[in-house]
Amino acid sequence: MTETEELMRATAQRCHDPYLRCALYGAAQTALGVTGCCVLAHSPQGCYLLVDAAFGWQDADYTETLILSTKLCEDEIVHGGEELLARTILEAQELGVSILFVLTSCGPEIVGDDIVAVCEDMRPQVDFEIVPIECAGFRGDQNDGTDIALDAMLKKLTVRGRQKIPGSVCLIAPHANSNPTWMGDLAWVKEILRQMGAKVLATLTHDTRINEFEDVASAEGCIVLTHDAGQKAADYLAQEFGTEQLCKGMPLPVGFTNTRRWLMELGKGLGAQDVAERLAAEGGKMVVEQCRRKGLEQFFMHRAPAAIVADATVGIPLLRFITEDLEMIPHLLCLRSCQAESGEILKRELEELALSPKVIYDADVYQSKLALAEVKPEVVFGSNIERHAVEELDIPFVFRLVNPISRFRMVNREYFGYVGMLNLIEFIQNDWLDRYRSTQRRYKARW
Amino acid sequence: MDDSRIAFKGTLQQLLEKVEKGEMIPKLQASHAPPCKFWTAFQVINGIRHMAPVIHGPKGCTYSVANAYKMRSCEYRGAPLEPTSCTAQDEADVVYGGEGKLLEAVKEADRRYHPELIVILSCCCSGIIGDDVESIAQRAEREVNAKVLAIRSEGFGGDFRSGYEDAFKVIMGLMEPPTEKMKGTINILGAREGPTYTRWTEDLDEIKRLVYAMGAKINGVFCGGCTVEQIRRARAVELNASWCYDWGQKLGDLMEERFGIPYARTGQPYGLKATEEWVMGVAVPLGLEKQATEVMRRETEELSEEVDVLRRFFEGKTALIEITEFPGPIRALSLARMASEFGAHPVVINIHPYTIKERMPSIKFLLQEGQNPEVILTKGLFSLGTFRSSWETEEELEMVAAHYDNAIYLGSPLRQPGVPQVNLTTMTGFPQYGYRGIKNMARLVQSSMEHASRPRSKLFREVLYGG
Repeated sequence: MTETEELMRATAQRCHDPYLRCALYGAAQTALGVTGCCVLAHSPQGCYLLVDAAFGWQDADYTETLILSTKLCEDEIVHGGEELLARTILEAQELGVSILFVLTSCGPEIVGDDIVAVCEDMRPQVDFEIVPIECAGFRGDQNDGTDIALDAMLKKLTVRGRQKIPGSVCLIAPHANSNPTWMGDLAWVKEILRQMGAKVLATLTHDTRINEFEDVASAEGCIVLTHDAGQKAADYLAQEFGTEQLCKGMPLPVGFTNTRRWLMELGKGLGAQDVAERLAAEGGKMVVEQCRRKGLEQFFMHRAPAAIVADATVGIPLLRFITEDLEMIPHLLCLRSCQAESGEILKRELEELALSPKVIYDADVYQSKLALAEVKPEVVFGSNIERHAVEELDIPFVFRLVNPISRFRMVNREYFGYVGMLNLIEFIQNDWLDRYRSTQRRYKARW
Repeated sequence: MDDSRIAFKGTLQQLLEKVEKGEMIPKLQASHAPPCKFWTAFQVINGIRHMAPVIHGPKGCTYSVANAYKMRSCEYRGAPLEPTSCTAQDEADVVYGGEGKLLEAVKEADRRYHPELIVILSCCCSGIIGDDVESIAQRAEREVNAKVLAIRSEGFGGDFRSGYEDAFKVIMGLMEPPTEKMKGTINILGAREGPTYTRWTEDLDEIKRLVYAMGAKINGVFCGGCTVEQIRRARAVELNASWCYDWGQKLGDLMEERFGIPYARTGQPYGLKATEEWVMGVAVPLGLEKQATEVMRRETEELSEEVDVLRRFFEGKTALIEITEFPGPIRALSLARMASEFGAHPVVINIHPYTIKERMPSIKFLLQEGQNPEVILTKGLFSLGTFRSSWETEEELEMVAAHYDNAIYLGSPLRQPGVPQVNLTTMTGFPQYGYRGIKNMARLVQSSMEHASRPRSKLFREVLYGG
């Protein structure tokens, strides 16, 4: 085995340059999707910044949602921080919140602070609900944190014995999606469901009211809106409440084929095939007409060797879109996670598309860079990290689609569905044109 | 003024005494949480070229600092993407210890990245379970090509200041005994994160300009994009100076104590007097007074109009200065001195006891230098919340501003105090330090005077403080 091969095969667990944050971050993202909540990080002050980043990812409004930290110091690590946690919970009483999520970081979990017991003790003394979530960073990455938080929330907040509401669904983990404006994807899904006559009882989580959790058990179906997390929550709902998972085992709706298949499957599940047919026909026509009117740059795409470095949520469905609709040839796929179910979806996609790119699961930055250097694609679909990583690699185009992108978006732009296709094409074309922009002047103007 | 909304009113000296006695502690734990020690230690070493960090901790701490500092350096400071690696500690490592894995990670980092320097940083996990990062660094160094250092930077182990200081202290381990002195050469201390921005002029660029103008040379800016070689040579200089007294002070003191290198103790060069002090603080030990005097004369001569503008603006006014969260309390105190120089009575608003505690040595130095402005701390900022969104603090500030009949406000544009207001954020493309800083300040106060009666944006206000 050559050194390069050896390094590629290493799981990068000894010396890992991560694309993802830890479990605490994923749990915080999930908790902060609940409106009017307060998230208390039982942690040193550095972890507070992590929670603050999660706050931004959920588009939380600082006039409604609050974040606190117990700011643990050496004293609490040596003597335990339970007393400080109890005091902070009591002080949060002044904030007028309806629910408090208590999240643990590495320190207090290692020293054995029993946050579940503290929360139980404090509950009678405060007038808000308290949900403890044990999500120390060492428990896994942010996707694991999303699963941990969903598990804690569903077990604590759902109400059993509810009657099923026909045509109702709940949506799972929309935020585990590296589209920087993933709320656009969620909005598209909700609009499709509305047109199909379905009722969304709960979104787990984004702009989620606490009483939505009470309705979760009433949902007939659920849809997991990510390939990176959330499957455990769907399995729990199926097991506990008989909730059917819709669109299971198929790529999310990015590109013509994936969107059409996803719509048809959803229509079948909800008894709305005719609506699905109409949406697919209208949407497809709209994309073609819009591209005809605005212009679709095709020259650089045809059979261009491509790489995708992304999360599974964007990366897996993007594979078919760039192959079928944009005529590129994927040679490399670096995914930031490795859920077993998503691996199966990808395997089927590659077979159907007769593609055999190099695939790296659970990739880190080093592995991606090394693979890009080996494969030498002409085009990379990735993030700002790849834009900088390929600088010495003579790879001309990096299209920034996934977080972090260093591009400000004031309006949520979806990748799902038909407008999503137009958004992707727009971002790709803008980055393509940027590559040609002059960074210096050859001579000075005279005026 | 409604005293029930004021948490403290007095002098800086009095506030310091209260903090030292432990009297000014906010009730709610949440308030004012700057980065932890790990973040700030990383920020320092991120300013060294071809350095590979090996963070002995989980992924979350690692991605967070990479995203904050590494990406920003790539985007704006012209730095290439270099690795931010970690041992990705998991439950098994927490239970069984991770020293073996750390050693392997260091070797792997050396093989993969060919760095000149590897810095191991401990996090909460590795700190609590007692992994001995220093011993691993020593052992690893025998087995790899790069120099290997270790910083005990677990987040619970100290405040954010201690991260800066410990990182600077560890870096001293790289400084080699000099064979000969570099005449007329200085180090600039206290920088972090990386080189200055490539597309706009920063304060550090202005002081570098002044150093070169007087005929001195700079060995390196620690750690503002310096090389390992510059750190190795650091003991050969004649003098250390700081670009920010607060952050350079510890390293300057230690290098003086351990290596006998004099350290120019001066505050931040805001305004004419402080700039002259800074310049002479460097020039005198190097024997360059004559050249420096000529530089100051030439630069000052060119600024006569700007100095007039500043005098007209400040003369006889009460200058409310509130930049204590960003760009920071030490700058607020430097601005207070500048306002006083041009004829105003400075009142520093909302310098939080938390930051006094963390910056104790610098605050004491400024007091020794005779800077003891009046300080007002409002209850909103003291008790809870961030500067940005706290409508209570905004109301309190408006109340304070209304209390004076001749107030001007120097601070963040996020505030709407209802008096002439100067935007003193440092993110506007021009420096505040030195002579170019004076030029910039004059431009800002001129604009403030001309547009004082314009209404503030309803959009800005509602976004920040609600409808």
